[in-house]
This record gives sequence, C-alpha cells and structure tokens, in this order.
Amino acid sequence: MPRSPGTRLKPAKYIPVATAAALLVGSSTLFFVFTCPWLTRAVSPAVPVYNGIIFLFVLANFSMATFMDPGVFPRADEDEDKEDDFRAPLYKNVDVRGIQVRMKWCATCHFYRPPRCSHCSVCDNCVEDFDHHCPWVNNCIGRRNYRYFFLFLLSLSAHMVTGKFRGGVNPFTRGCYGNVEHVLCSPLAPRYVVEPPRLPLAARLKPPFLRPELLERAAPLKVKLSDNGLKAGLGRSKSKGSLDRLDEKPLDLGPPLPPKAEASTFGGDLQTPRPSSAESALSVQRTSPPTPAMYKFRPAFPSGPKAPFCGPGEQVPGPDSLTLGEDSIHSLDFASEPSLDLPDYTPGGLHAAYPPSPPLSAADTFSGALRSLSLKAASRRGGDHMALQPLRSEGGAPTPHRSIFAPHALPNRNGSLSYDSLLNPGSPSGHTCPAHPSAGMASYRSPYLHPGAVGDPPRPPPRSFSPVLGPRPREPSPVRYDNLSRTIMASIQERKDREERERLLRSQADSLFGDSGVYDAPSSYSLQQASALSEGPRGPALRYGSRDDLVAGPGFGGARNPALQTSLSSLSSAVSRAPRTSSSSLQADLANNNAPGPRPGSGSHRSPVRQGPPSPPSTPRSPSYAGPKAVAFIHTDLPESPPSLAMQRDHPQLKTPPSKLNGQSPGLARLGPAAGPPGPSASPARHTLVKKVSGVGGTTYEISV
Amino acid sequence: MTQYRPQEDLSKRFWVHNLQELRRSASLATKVFIQRDYSDGTICQFQTKFPPELDSRIERQLFEETVKTLNSFYAEAEKIGGSSYLEGCLACATAYFIFLCMETHYEKVLKKISRYIQEQNEKIFAPRGLLLTDPVERGMRVVSFLAVLCEGTELLTSGLPGEDPQK
Repeated sequence: MPRSPGTRLKPAKYIPVATAAALLVGSSTLFFVFTCPWLTRAVSPAVPVYNGIIFLFVLANFSMATFMDPGVFPRADEDEDKEDDFRAPLYKNVDVRGIQVRMKWCATCHFYRPPRCSHCSVCDNCVEDFDHHCPWVNNCIGRRNYRYFFLFLLSLSAHMVTGKFRGGVNPFTRGCYGNVEHVLCSPLAPRYVVEPPRLPLAARLKPPFLRPELLERAAPLKVKLSDNGLKAGLGRSKSKGSLDRLDEKPLDLGPPLPPKAEASTFGGDLQTPRPSSAESALSVQRTSPPTPAMYKFRPAFPSGPKAPFCGPGEQVPGPDSLTLGEDSIHSLDFASEPSLDLPDYTPGGLHAAYPPSPPLSAADTFSGALRSLSLKAASRRGGDHMALQPLRSEGGAPTPHRSIFAPHALPNRNGSLSYDSLLNPGSPSGHTCPAHPSAGMASYRSPYLHPGAVGDPPRPPPRSFSPVLGPRPREPSPVRYDNLSRTIMASIQERKDREERERLLRSQADSLFGDSGVYDAPSSYSLQQASALSEGPRGPALRYGSRDDLVAGPGFGGARNPALQTSLSSLSSAVSRAPRTSSSSLQADLANNNAPGPRPGSGSHRSPVRQGPPSPPSTPRSPSYAGPKAVAFIHTDLPESPPSLAMQRDHPQLKTPPSKLNGQSPGLARLGPAAGPPGPSASPARHTLVKKVSGVGGTTYEISV
Repeated sequence: MTQYRPQEDLSKRFWVHNLQELRRSASLATKVFIQRDYSDGTICQFQTKFPPELDSRIERQLFEETVKTLNSFYAEAEKIGGSSYLEGCLACATAYFIFLCMETHYEKVLKKISRYIQEQNEKIFAPRGLLLTDPVERGMRVVSFLAVLCEGTELLTSGLPGEDPQK
C-alpha cells in the first residue's frame, strides 16, 4: 500500500483489511484444527493437502493484492507540466484504435491521465489501469496487482475490463482469450516509484555540440574542440545553419515571403567565408543579394560567441528572429557595419565588444531581458511563445500583442522586416542596435554563464528533477473552469455572442443611417431615445450620450449628413440599448469611432462614453444588414487604424464564436451557443458526424463516423 | 487608449509568466517531451512524431530510430509469451516468494533499455548537447530530451553502476 506523502496513520482504514485477514486466517485455522483430522480419516488424506494448497494460494494472492503497488504514477515534475498547468484544457483527446478517448488533467498529479488511469482519492495517487479501491485489501486494484486480486477473488472471470465499457465500445479489449491471457500471463509490470538513484556518473555533456547541419556539411569546416578561434567560423556556419532553419520555419508556418529565395542564396554565400576575418564579412556583404532579406540573418552573428551551438529554434535565432521581426531597423545597423560582427568572436568573449548601441531606452533593456527570458520559454515550449518584445522605438503596440499570441509569429516578423527595410534602406542612425538585446541577454545571463560556472561542482543530475527521489508535495493545479458547468458556460457564451451581435448591429445601424433608408428623423429619434433612456442603469454612459445628442441635434439642425447621422445614431443606439452585460472596450470604441469623423471637436464626449461601461442593447429595429457593408462604410469614413482594427477584431469574432474562454478549448466554446446545455460529451464539436457512446461509468466515447 | 489596455496587461502577464518559468528552471537546459502514443491501446509506445524543438539539434532519422527502438524494447517487455507464462506459473507455485530472488522479465528488459539509453546518450546525444531520460523515471508517461542550451554549461549525467564515467 504505497502511502502518498502527507497522509497520517488512520486506524479506521485498516479495519476492513484486518477483518478480511482475520476471517481468512481464522476460519482456515479452525478448519485445519478441527474439521480436517476427521476428514482425513473419513475421506482421504489428500484433503488437508488440497486445502492447504488452496489456503496458501488464497493467502499469497491476498497478500500480493494488499501489499503490491498497483501501478502508481509518480507526480509529474514541475518542468513537465509548466505549460499544461495553466493554459491547457481540462480534457485532451487521444485516438485509441480509431476511437476517441478523453484524457483528463489530474490536478493533483499534474499530468493528463493516460487512458484507463484514474486517481484514487483514498490513496491520493493516479493508478494505472485503475479498477477500484478495495477496502478489504486496503489497496487500489490497478495494473500490477490486478491478477492477484482476481485470483484472490476468482469471481470476475467474465468481466476482464473496467465497468465503464460495459455498455459501449471498448477500445482496450484484446478479445476474451486475449484479456484472460493478458491478466494472468503478462509479465509483471515494474514499479514506477523507484528507489533513489545509486548510479555513478556516466555520460558527460560537454560542448561543443554537433548539429545536423554541421554533420551534413562536413567538408568546409572542421570541428575543433579546443580552439576557440575556430569556434567563430563554426558559429558562423552554425548561424548559417540556424539561418536555414530560420528560413524553413517561416516556410512552414507563415505565408510565403519574398526574401526567401535570397535568403537561401545568402546562406550559400555564407558558406564560403573563412573563419574570423573582417574580409569575410565584407565578402558576405559583397555577395549578398541587395534585398532586405539578408539583413534578417545578420544579427545571428553577434549572438554567436555567446552560444554558437545553440539551435536556432532555441537561443540564437530567438534573438535573431526577435530582432528581425520586431525591428528591421536593427538589422539595418548590421548591414551597414558588417565587420563589427565577426571580430567580436574573441575567445571566451561573451560578446566582449559590441557596437555601442544608441542610448538604450529602459524599455529596450527590459525587452532585451524579457526576450532572453522568453527564449527559454520559447525553446521549451516549442517556439509557440517566442513572443516578441516591443523593440520598436515607435509605437508598435499592436504588434507585440499579436505576436505574443501568435503561435507562429515568425512570418509576421519576417514580413514586417522586409517591408520596413524597403522603406528605410540604409539609415542606421538613431535606431537601437540589436546588440543591446544581446547585451541585455548577456547581462541577464552572466550569473549563469561565467567561465567559472563550468568549473562549478557538477550540476545535479537530471534525475533530481524526477520524482524518484520521493514525491515532493505539490500544490494541486488551479481549478479549471471549462466544463465545470455547461449551462454556465453556455450562458456566458450566449452573452458573448449577443454582445458581438449587438456590436455588429450598431455598426450596421450606422450604415443604416448612412443609407438613410429607414429612419426619417434620426436626430429626433435619437433624441427621443436618449431622453427616454437617460435614466438607464448605465447611467454615466447614457447621460453622456444623451447630453451629446441634445447638443448635437440642434447644432446640426436639419443637416442630413450621413456621417453625422451615423454618429448620432451610434450614440443613441448605444444609449438606447437596454443594459446588458459589460462588453469589451472595443464596443465603445466602435461606437465612438463613428463619431470622430464628423465631429472632430467632440473628443471630450468620446472618452467618457468609451470609459463608461458601454451598453449594447438590441436596436429597436433588428438590423439584418450585412456586416461588410457596415465595415466598408466605417472604413471610408473614419480614421484608419483603431476602428479598422476594432472592426477586424470584431468581425472575425462574429464570424466564428469566440474561441477562448478561461483557457477553454475552442470546441467547448463552440458548443455553447450551439445548444443550451451541451450533451454529456465534452469533447469539441466535430464537423464530421460523431457517434457518442456512453459507458456505464459515465465515460463518453466518441466515434467519428 | 482603451484598445491598448489589453496589450499592457498582456505584457505584464508575459513578464510574470517568464519569471515563473525562470524560477522553475534551475538549469539552462530545456526539456522536450515525447508523449505516449496510445493509438494501439495501453501498450507502452512513444510517439515517433519529430518534435519541432529538436529540429536543429538532431537528425530526424536518428531520433525516429531511437524512439522506434525504445518502442520495440517495450513491446518485447510486455510481450505475452511462453517465458512470461512460465514465470507466472512459477511465481504462483512458490506463493510468489520467487519474486524475492528473481527479477521479472519486464525488469530485465528495463535494464536493457537503461543500458541502451545510456549508450545512446554517450554516443549520439551528448555530442549534440542532448540527453535522453529514461521514461521509467516519469512513470513511462513520457520520454524527455534534455536539450542543453548553451555552451558554457557542462552537464554530468548518471548512468548504470559500474560504468566508466569518462567519455
């Protein structure tokens, strides 16, 4: 009975097992003492032998069932679950022999439970092939002790798998005979909770490390481990290799970018230069194509001495791509001063000399440090969080927002890079040099990367991260709200949809006004609405709106300025809508963005409405106008980026229901509006036909037809 | 600027998140996990899908070969054959006292796997700055590759007893 950490000795839980053992031993003893001698004489001397054997068999199996580890999974270590713990959905689907099986996230053990694994609350462990927790043996019955338990009972021969599958399809069955064979004859599974390590050191990871691209191009460069000077050349070729990788990635991930072809040729050029000479850099410069693309690879060099052998996916292209993506101007610096890169390959130089960067803003160092932090994140999480820090000196606020969430941010970056370089062909001045991110990284990493660090006492073996040293008590992961209550999720979903619809309606109402199709006297109408609803619960917003309408109405008299009408109507509609749940500020933006065109001087009124909780009730007339029309109208009339951004953001949302809700998977969100309370299946709605089969134990399996 | 507010929050969140990660990672190595492949049921198999993080660290071919070998080892360990049947019978006959003396078939194969992983680490992965960990340490749920990021660190791993720690 493996005891999980933190449990105290509870005498109550030993009562059943003690009773069972007592009954077993006691009654057998009584039999042997009293009944057996007579039976031996009366029937046969084989009686006590047979009974003795059976008794021994039962006892042995009972003991094994009681004391054997059922197949406990050790707690997942922190490094394994860092991603899943916060962002991943509650369920993960996996395909078992064509049948979708749902793996649930175990908050206590911090991993997705393998199929047929379950968490025993009594033992506080996840157990492999969990059957049940038997109080009579005071143990879970799992993969390892199942046969002993079964033999002990010898009454479950017809029921070889768990009860969940009784009513439905069972993907785990091996056939009747196969099941019996598997239970009784399969090799005894090993314990997972192993003793502490007792092994001496064996493999040693010492740089420099081989890379596939290196091995492929074995000819031009030789890996000399001792000479740091050659490392520069290696690094360069590695950077080149990393460039190739960098090149591949956007190909895989993003839209095709123009500079690709040049990049590859550039890469080819890189192969020729000899190690560590300024002229090689210059030759590179000479032979490189005159496209902006080449600049994107340049920043690889300065980070070389730091980590020439780091994979592009991890460290080096991290800063590279980051510098690339966010600030093409950075690369332009390098383009203008290529010779600065290579001579920086001083032995043991943690980028000892870098081109002095223009005055670093605090934000840049911050972002540099951030990036260095994020690099580890990036590599660990497979690059999907290679978030770009706002390196731009100019306001690039939307971009980092986008890139932080974009799993494949590289193409965006490359794209922006090329076009930016086109715009600014050769002005390095005044731009932050990409050295400073590296500098930032250097400064950040210096605690770890001191040359002296190598001589430090050997790092604890990776085994220290494993749970084998004894489970370290860990907090259960945060509660996941997805799928907790389907009705709640559905209602939230409906509300969201409603809000978006209203947003769309409002924009359409604006187009309505623009067409002046339905409304005769918009201003008076809006005024009426404003006055009628000025006492709405959304007091501040309404009040502002009504005030503005009152101001605007007489001011514009009978003017049928479509834009004005639009603004009025938008405000009025915003005002007139019945109070709903608060929506994002985007809606307020939408409402307000209609205003700025015709009324430039009304910025004051704009902000209050924006800040107040916007109330998006349904318009009195249900507009069923097409969205694009409203969009087009708004676009033509209004300042460009903020409203268009807002509209763009809204419309994709409108077209597809919002995808994330508390980290919920998209499918679950989609289920919300589809049906009030979604059915017992919690897996994402599939567009193909899916047959849901429920088992007795509440498990639902989906078979896609 | 309402529309920029969410981005500020985002960046803050990102910063915090990175700190957390920083705190957690005591070493400069990143870990790549290869999950179990359940497409054939609950037999122990690992996915042979090449993880993108290893894209530049190791050749696809090598990786797949390693994982396939591991899978074959585990299949052998779990194979129901004559030897496992006999082992079961023997155990039953001796009231399972045999387990005190002898190690099971699975355990023997596990030892073999350990040795294989050790070998692979020494010959193939360590020169590339990678380290394969034995899945048994994590309950056979996942195979992890430890990818050493930077040149400055030297990672010493543990192996089987009796092996020469010198490379």
